[in-house]
Amino acid sequence: MTICNLYIFDKYGTLLYYGEWNRLKHSGITKDEEAKLMYGMLFSIKSFVSKISPMDPKAGFLHYKTNKYALNYLELPSGVKFVLNTDNTSTGIREFLQTIYSKLWVEYVVRNPLWTMGTPVTSDLFEAKLNEFVKQSPLYGSKII
Amino acid sequence: MAEEAIFEFLHSEIVNYTLNKENGKENDLSTLEYIGYTTGYRIIERLTREWPRFKDELDTMKFICTDFWSSIYRKQIDNLRTNHQGVYVLQDNAFRFLTRLSAGSQYLEHAPKFVAYTCGLVRGSLANLGITSTVTAEVQTMPSCKFHIQVNRT
Repeated sequence: MTICNLYIFDKYGTLLYYGEWNRLKHSGITKDEEAKLMYGMLFSIKSFVSKISPMDPKAGFLHYKTNKYALNYLELPSGVKFVLNTDNTSTGIREFLQTIYSKLWVEYVVRNPLWTMGTPVTSDLFEAKLNEFVKQSPLYGSKII
Repeated sequence: MAEEAIFEFLHSEIVNYTLNKENGKENDLSTLEYIGYTTGYRIIERLTREWPRFKDELDTMKFICTDFWSSIYRKQIDNLRTNHQGVYVLQDNAFRFLTRLSAGSQYLEHAPKFVAYTCGLVRGSLANLGITSTVTAEVQTMPSCKFHIQVNRT
């Protein structure tokens, strides 16, 4: 079990925060380019899933898996999107992302008067709390393979 | 949680509004302090309606540190010091308006904006309890904050 990286987007597709822990392979493009690609893909998957669904999709797109990693997606009613890459054996990631949202994002970003809406997060406090939270989580195992 | 959040959000908007760059009041904390003063002056009437008169100045300060602080900031002042000559230092180790900003020196330059209202609040409360004073605040590392109260004797 391990946590690779985390993207936080707002409803307009702006990358608000990027965190990285056990990422073994880098894309070779800039962070901004990568974020645009990532957001574009998520946007497409979301619309694909809602079009192709044979039943009312309710929560819609939740995660996908490859043979090496899993991408977990959490979108809040306000349009904030949390994207967490983990290895594909991890469980309970949805609750984990919910906690990041309610205990860290809302507390230290939304309630920080010095954060302007729609801009990347620069608060050291949020970063420190997030790192602490990720590292004490059972999902954060030792480095893999 | 809801009522606390509303107070916090309103406070941060008042800070933004009164320190508007456009009308050149970027560094003018006096409006903010005055809003605090009037709030403090009024709120003390409500808070002390069940209380007997305070014995002396120190007794009043103790009231500010305990009941007053907990009814507004949901915690008590962590440390009260005095030189018994009219100078009091109230230390809050986790001051409400700073706890979500930083836990070190990041954003330290913004700290005065978020303590000015409270300085006024304390000054206003003391004024209505019969103590004329000057209140200043000092932030060295967030989220801890020291309020210096200098009682004016005439």
